[in-house]
Amino acid sequence: MDMNVILSYIPLYRDALLLTLRIGWQGVFWALVIGLGCTLIRQLHIPVLQGVVTVYVELLRNTPLLVQLFFLYFALPKIGVRISAEVCGSLGLGLLGGAYMAETFRSGLDNIAPVQEESALSLGMSRFQTFRYVIFPQAAASSMPGIVANVVFLLKETSVFSVISLMDLMFTAKDLIGMYAKTIECLTLLVVFYLIMLLPVSLLGTVLERRLRYAEFGN
Amino acid sequence: MQSLGIDVLFKGSNFLRLLGGLWTAVRISLISVAISIVLGILAGMLMTSRSTFVKALLRVYLEIVRIMPQMVLLFIVYFGTTRVFGWNLEAETAAIIVFTFWGTAEMGDLVRGALISIPRIQYESAAALGMSETAAFRYVILPQTVRRLIPLSINLITRMIKTTSLVMMIGIVEVLKVGQQIIEANRKTSPNAAFGVFAVVFLMYFLICWPVSRLAAWLEKRWA
Amino acid sequence: MKKIRKNTVIAVLTALGLGTALVSPVFADENFRTLDEIKESGTVNIGVFSDKSPFGYVDENGEYQGYDVYLAERLGEDLGVEINYVSTEAANRIEYLQTGKVDIILANFTVTPERAEEVDFALPYMNVALGVVSPEDAVIESLDDIGEDDQVIVISGTTAETYLVKNNPEIKLQKYDAYAEAKTAFENGNGVAWANDNTEVIAFSIENEGYVVGIPSLGSADTIAPAVTKGNETLLNWLNDEIVSLGEENFFHADYEATLLDTYGADYEDTLVIEGGAVSGSETEAE
Repeated sequence: MDMNVILSYIPLYRDALLLTLRIGWQGVFWALVIGLGCTLIRQLHIPVLQGVVTVYVELLRNTPLLVQLFFLYFALPKIGVRISAEVCGSLGLGLLGGAYMAETFRSGLDNIAPVQEESALSLGMSRFQTFRYVIFPQAAASSMPGIVANVVFLLKETSVFSVISLMDLMFTAKDLIGMYAKTIECLTLLVVFYLIMLLPVSLLGTVLERRLRYAEFGN
Repeated sequence: MQSLGIDVLFKGSNFLRLLGGLWTAVRISLISVAISIVLGILAGMLMTSRSTFVKALLRVYLEIVRIMPQMVLLFIVYFGTTRVFGWNLEAETAAIIVFTFWGTAEMGDLVRGALISIPRIQYESAAALGMSETAAFRYVILPQTVRRLIPLSINLITRMIKTTSLVMMIGIVEVLKVGQQIIEANRKTSPNAAFGVFAVVFLMYFLICWPVSRLAAWLEKRWA
Repeated sequence: MKKIRKNTVIAVLTALGLGTALVSPVFADENFRTLDEIKESGTVNIGVFSDKSPFGYVDENGEYQGYDVYLAERLGEDLGVEINYVSTEAANRIEYLQTGKVDIILANFTVTPERAEEVDFALPYMNVALGVVSPEDAVIESLDDIGEDDQVIVISGTTAETYLVKNNPEIKLQKYDAYAEAKTAFENGNGVAWANDNTEVIAFSIENEGYVVGIPSLGSADTIAPAVTKGNETLLNWLNDEIVSLGEENFFHADYEATLLDTYGADYEDTLVIEGGAVSGSETEAE
């Protein structure tokens, strides 16, 4: 391994990390918004929209991001819809993540026994109060590990961005290997930068999961 | 506007080639899932072991798998191992190794989750009824664990199939790459083929993964 | 119980470590197959493009075709072995040779001094320079026409990328892994121009309406040659002899007429083709 090579590549990897984080977090933001929107539609049983949500969730959860990106970036312009690479990246992540988040929120809500809602209502709480003070805190807590897992998943999925010309960490490594053939150095830096980006988030997930288990009964 | 490239799919053996590409992806994932399930059950049992050393080791393994994108692992195994150890792996072998490495960790974690989700009181009740540890495991714990596990492992299959789309990046000609080749060979006559081809590839993945994930959801509900 | 398990794990890990240490030096130097080994095995692995028409692509019957493939077919025939085509991307070509995944790269591989440090090039079979193609309603005729915010499409791992990174770092590049992706993105209007081998951009402008090669030649005049893993002398010597003897039967002109004539017409034949490895006119600086 050549230390000089590594040092000279670090700024490129840093730029890639920043781009990956920027687009990754935009994607996570949209995923949360879309996921919450879908959950709301499902909870309120809005007709038609509920059907749309089901189709959307099933379509996006059962196809690879790579194929979705190919479709968004290369196929849509053929029918006149052109999206820039960055928007395509965050939109693609957001759409994919939204479907995953919607399922995570749903299972969080499913974990709450119906008797809780009934009890709260019979205590004279309004529907809003019931949701705000009884359902939401529990659902949010039990969805937390799932949400963090989705965030890690989404940030990892940025590794396919090379196909839409975004210089994320993976593409930076591949590109440098293609130009200068310093494979070992490039792959080592790649691993290190992914660790920097994802280890904290992943550890947070582990801690949350452990905490949550303490709160459960019988284990 | 010209045709959106659906006709291109029926030229020559194009459609069969796409299906062939899809089969390559599915075959890689099925082989990987099969190995992952066997190794994953072992890993899961080890994860509940009392030895802190074993637990820590598996923890690190799981953490690596969770953090490293499969694409990074593919590059390391396909190119990195030849550089460092001189092993010359076929692209498909490299893909199976990576997906098994990943699948074993995921499966192991599922097995661990299923095992610890059985309340301790059941072990205790079984013991109180005079069952031996083996008998308790065989007749009480195992049946429940398996029921919880089957839907989750079926889900793993769909996740594998989706992830195999990455193998095009290490030169395996799977469905997306065949799609690109078709677009390229017909660029002159149908410049809009990208729409039809990518839409069909999208649908193909959906038609493979959707029934499998419905099956998993149905089993989960039935056995819950 | 607990103790046994711990020891087992340690033992297994040590064994693995030792095993790797013992095995690795044995294989580390065997990153290529000699001519005899290839002949003995009955198959030669050749890395070609599968999405770069008319040089290396796959037709609607799943057969590899193109100028590079025409040569590959002949090499297989003369070696007396079957050919296993390996689909490659530009950025993987050196890697494929260095890790022995292919025996020969015949993927429009431009000879450059940097690459010659990593792989061994045989005698050349085609001339090439860089070129830039752009839409006819906004033709780029010089690199100065490229605006500050404009993006130029290049393919990762090509000479066009290396050239622009080195000589025009101010130009914003939009990089793609594969030819198919870059071309589709260019068609979709994602970049103001596409810089690549001039052979390739000329072919694109001829095959697709509405595009003009505003810069037909950029950088130095280079050549394209087959490449083998560094140090694979037996195979390299065989390739060189083969290219010389193919020159005697005007093979590369026949190759041009079979694969490139439809695209380029007869005008480019003598400009593009190198017969028998003999570069005419100005020597390339790659030497």
